[in-house]
Amino acid sequence: MSGTYDVVIIGGGMSGLMAAIPLAEKGRSVAVISKGDPVCCLSTGCVDLCSKGDDPIGGIESFPDHHPYRLVGVEKVKESFDIFQKIMIETGLPYIGDCHANRKILTPFGTSKTTCLVPKTMKSASCDPDEYIHVISFNGLKDFYPSYITSGHVNSGCSIFDAGVSSTSAIAERFEEEDFLQEFVSWLANLALPEGKIAFPAVLGIRSAMAIFNAITEYLGRDIFEIPTIPPSIPGERLFSSLKNLFLEKGGSLYWGKEIASVEKLNGRIEAVTLSNRGRSTRVQGTLFILATGSFVSGGLYASMDDVRETVFNLETYLPGERENWFNEDFFIPGHTIEKAGIRVDSTLRPLDSEFSNLFVCGSILAFTEVMKYGCGHGTAIATGVAAANICEELL
Amino acid sequence: MESDFQHCIRCTICVENCPVFRVNPEFPGPKQAGPDTERFRCDEETSLDKWIGLCSQCKRCEVACPYGVDPAEIILREQLTYGEKHFRPLANRLFANNYYLGAFSSALAPLVNTFASLRFIQKIMNVVGLSTYMPFPGFYVHTLRRSWRWKGRRNSSRKVAFFYGCFLNYNRPDIGRGIRDLLASLGLKVVMPKQVCCGLPALGNGDMRTARKFARRNAEILAGYIDKGYDVVYACTSCGHTLTHDYPGILNVPAGKKIAENTYNLNEYIVKLIEEDHIDPEFGPVPLKVAYHIPCHLRASAIGYPAASLFEKIPGLECHVLDDHCCGLSGSYGFKRKNQGTAIKLGRTAAAEVRACDPDYIVSDCGACRMQLGHFADLPVLDPSEIIIRSLIRPAKTTKK
Repeated sequence: MSGTYDVVIIGGGMSGLMAAIPLAEKGRSVAVISKGDPVCCLSTGCVDLCSKGDDPIGGIESFPDHHPYRLVGVEKVKESFDIFQKIMIETGLPYIGDCHANRKILTPFGTSKTTCLVPKTMKSASCDPDEYIHVISFNGLKDFYPSYITSGHVNSGCSIFDAGVSSTSAIAERFEEEDFLQEFVSWLANLALPEGKIAFPAVLGIRSAMAIFNAITEYLGRDIFEIPTIPPSIPGERLFSSLKNLFLEKGGSLYWGKEIASVEKLNGRIEAVTLSNRGRSTRVQGTLFILATGSFVSGGLYASMDDVRETVFNLETYLPGERENWFNEDFFIPGHTIEKAGIRVDSTLRPLDSEFSNLFVCGSILAFTEVMKYGCGHGTAIATGVAAANICEELL
Repeated sequence: MESDFQHCIRCTICVENCPVFRVNPEFPGPKQAGPDTERFRCDEETSLDKWIGLCSQCKRCEVACPYGVDPAEIILREQLTYGEKHFRPLANRLFANNYYLGAFSSALAPLVNTFASLRFIQKIMNVVGLSTYMPFPGFYVHTLRRSWRWKGRRNSSRKVAFFYGCFLNYNRPDIGRGIRDLLASLGLKVVMPKQVCCGLPALGNGDMRTARKFARRNAEILAGYIDKGYDVVYACTSCGHTLTHDYPGILNVPAGKKIAENTYNLNEYIVKLIEEDHIDPEFGPVPLKVAYHIPCHLRASAIGYPAASLFEKIPGLECHVLDDHCCGLSGSYGFKRKNQGTAIKLGRTAAAEVRACDPDYIVSDCGACRMQLGHFADLPVLDPSEIIIRSLIRPAKTTKK
C-alpha cells in the first residue's frame, strides 16, 4: 500500500540511495525522505575506500574493530563495491577502478588526491609531473585554477575557451547543446596541441556527460580527463542524480522535505515518521526504518556547545570526551577527534541502547567512521548502505 | 521570518539546483540573490536589485537546501519590496490580475481566442512585454464555475470542498468536471465553494496587496467549510503550494494555519482515503506509457509524489517519473518577454528529457507545465486525474464502504 512502505529510508545521500536501490530492485516498496540535496553533490564524485596506502582493501584490515567497515566485514565491503559499479553501469555513468588498488587524480589546485573508484571521465587523470598535459579552462571560471596545475607539471600548457558563461553549472549546461559542443571541439582541434593528454575542469555536461566525453575523445583521438572543481561540483551532482533517478526508475518513492517533525512509536518499534510542513505534516509509515542522515555537515548530527545530538530519533550518540578534546591544535591535520562522534551500532547495524527494534543506521552518521582520517568518504556510505539493504531484505 | 538566512553555510547546493542560473548569466543565483545579499538589505532602504525579478520562484533552491534556509522566500520578499517601491511593468500588472483577465477572456472566449492567435495582436502583446513563443491557452465561455452540476452524494461522512484554481476554471473546465466525477464516484460529497485566484500570480508579479486581498477572501470562505467538517482538495500544485505554504507563511492570512492543516493534494487525498480503508477501489488497466513530469511546486510541497503511488497500482501503466527539470514556464514568468529566452531554453531541456522516454503521453499536475512541455515535446498531455479516471471509472466499477 502506498504511504506504507516495507522500508523507509531517512536521508537521500549516498548511503541512503545505496540501501534504497537494491531493495527497490528486489521489488520492495521503498520510500526515501530527503531534507534537501545530499552532501554528495559537493563531493568530487570519486569514491574513496581507504586512502592510506596503495591497497585500500588491505588497508582496512588494520582499522579498529569498531570501524563500520569491520562491522560489515571486509568481504561484504568488496561485494558492495561490485554492486555499486554494476549500478553505475546501469545508470550510464560507469565508475572505473577496483577495490584492491588506489589511484591518484589531479585536483583543481594541482595537487593529487588518492581515491579508489572514479567516474570514467577521470580515468586518464595524470599526476606524473613529467608527463605532458594540456589544461583547458574557461573564461571567468572561478572554481578552477589552471596555473596551479601547470606550475606542478613542467611540460604542460594551458588554453582558455570563452563559453559566454562563467560558472561550472552554466558551462556544463552549454555542453549539452550540440552546436556549442561542435564549436568547442573545432576550437580544440584548431589549437593543434602537441601529443599528450588534455585536461578539462569537470564541466563536460551534466546529463549527457558520458556521451560528451566520448564525443570529444573520439574527435581528438587522444586521452582526455576531467579534473573536479571546487563546489558546485558537477561530478557530485551527476552521481547523485544518476542514483536518484535509478531509484525512481525502479519504482521507489521520493519525499523531498524539511526536517522530520515527529516519530510515532508503538511497542518498541517505529510506526511512522512525519515530515514537517507549514500546515499538516505528511505521514510516512513503514515496517523497517533506515537512518542515513549523514554527519554534521548533512545535519544528521547537531553539535551544541557541550553536546552532540542525533536529529531525527534522538538516539544515544557517542561523544569523544569533552569539547576541548574535539579538535586538534592544527586545523589542517585531518582526523579531528570529533569525527569519531556518531551512532554506535551492532553488527546488524542496529543502534546500541536503542528502544527501537526496527531501526538500522548506515553512512557517515555511524560512530568511528572518521571519514577525513581514513579517507573513506562514499566508501563507508556504499558498504554500510548495501549492508543495511541486505539486513532489511532478510527481515522482510 | 521562518527561514534564517544566517543558517546558510554557502555550500552552493541551491545554485546547482537553480534552473535560471544555468541558462541566464544575468541572474546571480539563489545564494547571492538570497542569503548573501540579505545581509545588506534593511527595511528602510529602497531595493536596487533590479535582477531580483529574474528568479522564477520555482522553489528548487528551497527543496535543495539541507540547512533549512529558504532562498526563494528571501528572494520573493525582496521581489515584493521591489514591486512596492518601483513602477511595475504592464505585463506584471496584467498577470497579477490574472483572475480578472481570465473572467474577462472567458466571457468573450470566442473573440479572445481568435484575437490571441492573430499576428498583429501578438506583435502588440510583444511590445507591451508579453511573450508569444507559444499560444496562450484557450478560454471557455462555459467555465468550470458556470458548468458545475451537482454530482455525488448529498450526504457522506467525507465532505470535500474543491479548490479548482483559475486554470481549470477558465482554460480546462473539462478536467475540473472529471475531478468532480472522480471524487463523487469515490462516495464523497463534493462541493465547489465560491473562490477567487489563490494569489500566486500576484505574489509572483510583485503585488503583495492584490495577493493578500485574494488570499483573505479565499481563507474566509475555505475556513467556513473546514469548520463545517469539509476537507479542502486542490488539483493545481501551484495553487496548492500557495494555500498550504504561503497562506500561513508570507501572506500570513487569518486562518492560514487552519487551511494549511486541512488542505490536500487530490492524489494525496485519494491515497489517504485508501490508507484509512475508507475506499478500496479496483484499479482497472490503462495500457499506456507516460512520462510524469513532477511540477516544481509539487516537489516543494513536501508530500512526496502521490500520483506516482497511485499509478503504481494501475495495471499496464508504464510511468517514468521525471523530477530533475523545471519546465521553465513558472506560471506567468515565461509569458513575460524578458524571461522568454530562459523559458525557451529550460522548456527545451525538460522536453528533451520527456521525449527520451518515448511516452504516449506527458502527465503533469500543473497546467502551466503541461502547456510548456506539450508545446516543446510536441506530445499530448494529461492531468494525473485523467489517468486515474481511465483506471477507476471507465473500465471498472469501484467498491465503496
